[in-house]
Amino acid sequence: MSIKISSVSYEKGNKKILDDISLEIKSGEVLSVLGPNGAGKSTLLNLISGDISPSKGEIYFDNKNLKDISIQERSFMRSVMAQSQAIVFDFSVKEIIEMGWLDKGLSNYANNFQDALNEIAKETSVTDLLFKKFNVLSGGEQRRVHFARTLLQIWRPSNSLDPIYILLDEPTANLDILHEQKMMKKIRSKASEGIGVMIVLHDINIAAKYSDKIAFIKEGRLEEIGNPSEVLEEDKLSEIYELPMKINEDPYRITY
Amino acid sequence: MSWLLNYFSFIKFSSSRQNFITLILIFFVSLIFFVSISFGSFNFSFLELFNYSETSIQKTVLFEIRIPRVLLAGFVGASLGLSGASLQGLFRNPLADPGLIGVSAGAALGAALVIVLGSTYIPAYIFNTLALPISAVLGAALVISMLYFFTRGFGYQGITYMLLIGIAVNAFASVGIGILTFISTDSELRGLTFWTMGSFGGASWQIIIPALLVIIVSMCWMIPSSRKLDLLQLGEPEAYRLGINVQKLKFKVIVSSAITVGISVSLSGMIGFVGLVVPHLVRLLGGVNHSYLLPASAFLGATLMMTADLFSRLLIAPAELPVGLITSAIGAPFFLWLIFRSRRI
Repeated sequence: MSIKISSVSYEKGNKKILDDISLEIKSGEVLSVLGPNGAGKSTLLNLISGDISPSKGEIYFDNKNLKDISIQERSFMRSVMAQSQAIVFDFSVKEIIEMGWLDKGLSNYANNFQDALNEIAKETSVTDLLFKKFNVLSGGEQRRVHFARTLLQIWRPSNSLDPIYILLDEPTANLDILHEQKMMKKIRSKASEGIGVMIVLHDINIAAKYSDKIAFIKEGRLEEIGNPSEVLEEDKLSEIYELPMKINEDPYRITY
Repeated sequence: MSWLLNYFSFIKFSSSRQNFITLILIFFVSLIFFVSISFGSFNFSFLELFNYSETSIQKTVLFEIRIPRVLLAGFVGASLGLSGASLQGLFRNPLADPGLIGVSAGAALGAALVIVLGSTYIPAYIFNTLALPISAVLGAALVISMLYFFTRGFGYQGITYMLLIGIAVNAFASVGIGILTFISTDSELRGLTFWTMGSFGGASWQIIIPALLVIIVSMCWMIPSSRKLDLLQLGEPEAYRLGINVQKLKFKVIVSSAITVGISVSLSGMIGFVGLVVPHLVRLLGGVNHSYLLPASAFLGATLMMTADLFSRLLIAPAELPVGLITSAIGAPFFLWLIFRSRRI
């Protein structure tokens, strides 16, 4: 089971933002997408989530063309955590997280709702925040609440075999180091439960530590893709980021 | 029965406390309805109402004048409350009010156009029940579409922009109404002045029954979308990713608001601030989720409007104040308070 991106290009106006990208997000794997600002990483994520359609090429969810999957069906197959917008009205944290609990389709699991919510709140350490107003939280806390909502959206009973994916756009932005590590561990453990993960990151060290595969995008083209040990080479990195880079093997650390 | 259960399934998203508040509001709607039909320049006691001892003039006053009028006031209040709440949800903007952003003005301009240009050609029975409401609805729809176009999809950043466009639309509409006033005949003029201040004086069964039916249908169409409006608060892309067809939702809110506001304005004139004040009070009472907010705003809107109408009839009885004066007198300071409060945050 996987999401296949096959020769996808995306143009806006006359500008080519993504050029002939092919890659695969497999169930049970964490794929990190890295690259300089403006490389097209978020655009790739938006294409896969179905917010925009590719100018050329196709995207398949488990061999079904994304075009032929309804908006509602998509929301059961994948959840997305992207840059969030301000919320105007005073929703409580609990209400925001509950928005991930989709109404139809998941109604068979209605009895699990409270347990699922409590479990996820605990895992994302937002239990103490549940009854606070969302708007009084700090940026990092709000991020964790959105993460909890994203997890609730893809919550399934442990015996479920539905293939599920999660797409994350810099989920750790604004987080302190403790919560950054906690979130990445959580993402890692979701993958080991069989969920396919794509994550847009800036921090090469985090990507190296938590990914099964790393893809580098630069100026809309896929430069490298492979295991961390394959793609994280000094020459390649220095070329992609136009900055001399050095890899320390022990402890595994990249300095720049 | 299952479709009925399915229809009311939105209630499961509101807490039991919120459902309790809604029940209390329903109680108030009924209470103020009976109080309203008992008092006026002609008084009835509650007991008399039930033991059929009225003289025929009393019966006529009660059944042909008082009840339709109070019903109309209730439904107009419910329309404005509900459309205010749904427009605020759609625009993701707590200052959206059908009056402030020019939707009522658009409806009034539509109505005024047809009064001055059409009343001599259109037969009276079609005029009051069809031509007037339809042109008001079209005027309201035109303004909402314009707002949508100019604010590029009602983004939150468009808050000031939207209010400014509302001012422009209001100014444009008053120019239009001014010109129409200038070229109108005496009898048309009387019809026009009625629009600028708002009144429920013109209610009769013949006119209000089709209007109330359309309002009820449009409300019942809108209210089950409350959960979708909740998700829209996360932002349009986010709502889309959660499986909401955002375009369809926008269309629904725009059309239902245009219909309810347009028809309300065509029957009672421009009544300001109800759509602004009511959803705010409802949020203060019990919370911000739309499954509670939409129905509760309709009930509170009805309660407040019937109360305002009661005062408009009682304060200087047997003459009456325009009800729009009363709602604006209460609403304008409230609006100022909201602005000061939002500046502090």
